[in-house]
Amino acid sequence: MPSVNVVNGKQIVVVDIGLTERMVRFFAKPFRQMWHHRDLIQAILRREVAERFKGSVAGWVWAVVAPLLAIAVYTFAFTTNLKLPMADNVGGPRVGYALFIFSGIIVFNFFAEMAFRAPMLLHEYTHFIKQTIFPSDMLAVISTLRATLYTVISIAVMLIFQLAMLHELPWTVLLMPLIFIPFMAFLIGMSWFLCAIGAFTRDAGYLMINIVPLMMFATPVFYPHTSLPAPWDFWIYANALTGYVDVMRDIVLVGKPPNWIVYGWTLLTSVFTFYFGYWFFDRYRNVIVDVL
Amino acid sequence: MSSSTSSDIVIQARHLGKAYQLYARRNDWLKQVMFGWWKSYFKPFTVLRDIDLQVRRGESIGILGRNGCGKSTLLQVICGMTLPSHGELRVTGRIAPVLALGSTFDLELSGRENVMIGGAVLGLTRAEVLHKFNSIAEFAGIGDYMGQPVKHYSMGMRTRLAFSICAHVEAEILVVDEALAVGDAAFQRKCLDWIDDFRKKGTLLFVSHSMAEVRRLCTRAIWIEDGRIREQGDPSEVIRSYHRALLVEKDDVLRFTAGA
Repeated sequence: MPSVNVVNGKQIVVVDIGLTERMVRFFAKPFRQMWHHRDLIQAILRREVAERFKGSVAGWVWAVVAPLLAIAVYTFAFTTNLKLPMADNVGGPRVGYALFIFSGIIVFNFFAEMAFRAPMLLHEYTHFIKQTIFPSDMLAVISTLRATLYTVISIAVMLIFQLAMLHELPWTVLLMPLIFIPFMAFLIGMSWFLCAIGAFTRDAGYLMINIVPLMMFATPVFYPHTSLPAPWDFWIYANALTGYVDVMRDIVLVGKPPNWIVYGWTLLTSVFTFYFGYWFFDRYRNVIVDVL
Repeated sequence: MSSSTSSDIVIQARHLGKAYQLYARRNDWLKQVMFGWWKSYFKPFTVLRDIDLQVRRGESIGILGRNGCGKSTLLQVICGMTLPSHGELRVTGRIAPVLALGSTFDLELSGRENVMIGGAVLGLTRAEVLHKFNSIAEFAGIGDYMGQPVKHYSMGMRTRLAFSICAHVEAEILVVDEALAVGDAAFQRKCLDWIDDFRKKGTLLFVSHSMAEVRRLCTRAIWIEDGRIREQGDPSEVIRSYHRALLVEKDDVLRFTAGA
């Protein structure tokens, strides 16, 4: 089989296949690519992780210190006699409110890191894309994996803290992968979309710098979404992040299985974003090489 | 090897052309995306036109031409890094591009870590790279520098390491673009010997401004001018007419103008 087969600027699929077969291939393609490039993903992920703390002596300690400091500050702020309008709405002990915010921030930071980085992602790897035969679609996967690493550290810190302060963890914590994996898929899809746009114009990056901080308030990070009047329900869930924050809090803090409608909605946004992102990136990948 | 059945043809190009879109203003591409169906906002800048090329397994092709004639673009198109805008191209077999050696190195990382990444990018598995690591280090011959960050390397050392990685990919088609100009004479000879050896089993595409190298390594030479094949055939003859043309035709500064 030819490795490159091109006619008039269009990559040719040699075999003629039916609609179902084509659908199956489309849905399997991102995963087949990831499997095929697993060693490359590993090699570049190592470099990315090393790069994060480039030239630092403490290195990994920073990844643990940052969430520790954050949660310490929240706890201090909310367990003193500071009067907060929201804190009483959440219920439970004051430590609960610190955890409430921290869990929201973990989810949001994961999203924010990807949203900030994705538009510049292909620019960072221009040399690879232009000088070697490089699967540029794997970059979104790699950068999401890197961010996952730090998020997992933050979650671990939070769980340990929760265990230390409240002396118990709900069993539903075990359901975490059920929400975490769809969230990763959501972010990978988003990165594909953003990095394709970002290759064409730097505006995507500036847009994100302006939008993401606003998103923080449009997402129920600091307040429970139930404290909003009912008509807003639709809009708050239209922001896909709300679903993830909600489910995360239900299983980690409240200790009940998620609301299945909310969970179904997050799954839907996740699958849709993942495949839309891949479709979009795949469609423009050949143009991207020439504009970088 | 030299029988001419169609399965022997590893690179087949027919009427191959590549035009980049040049925009007069920086943001015109946006207009092109939105209103492209109505009028076009770019000047096509044709880099390659009407290239017909057939390369059989085991052939070594030398590509000559002046700066900006389209040599590198041709190689990039053949490697599949960028798509041609016209014509047909069929390439069979694993390609190892030896272009812009060392440009993908991460300066902060050690030579060792860069070998792991470079090998993976060229399609080797982690196990394969580990297995070949000693051989790669030995070919590069940079000794203890292997553990140092690449930013402390000289240009020549980077080239050595990068070439050494490429040499261990076991490709069927090797594409070399003016890669060896930086190394010292001893290393150049080592590389040329290696390429010489490679020719026995693989196909070679070789761009160089050193006519001696082309004469030594290639079974056929192709002279590209202004994106077209001007002459091809026996290396000595093509080199002779290329030299003659270089003497007669002055350095034409207008050849980078778009829309011609």
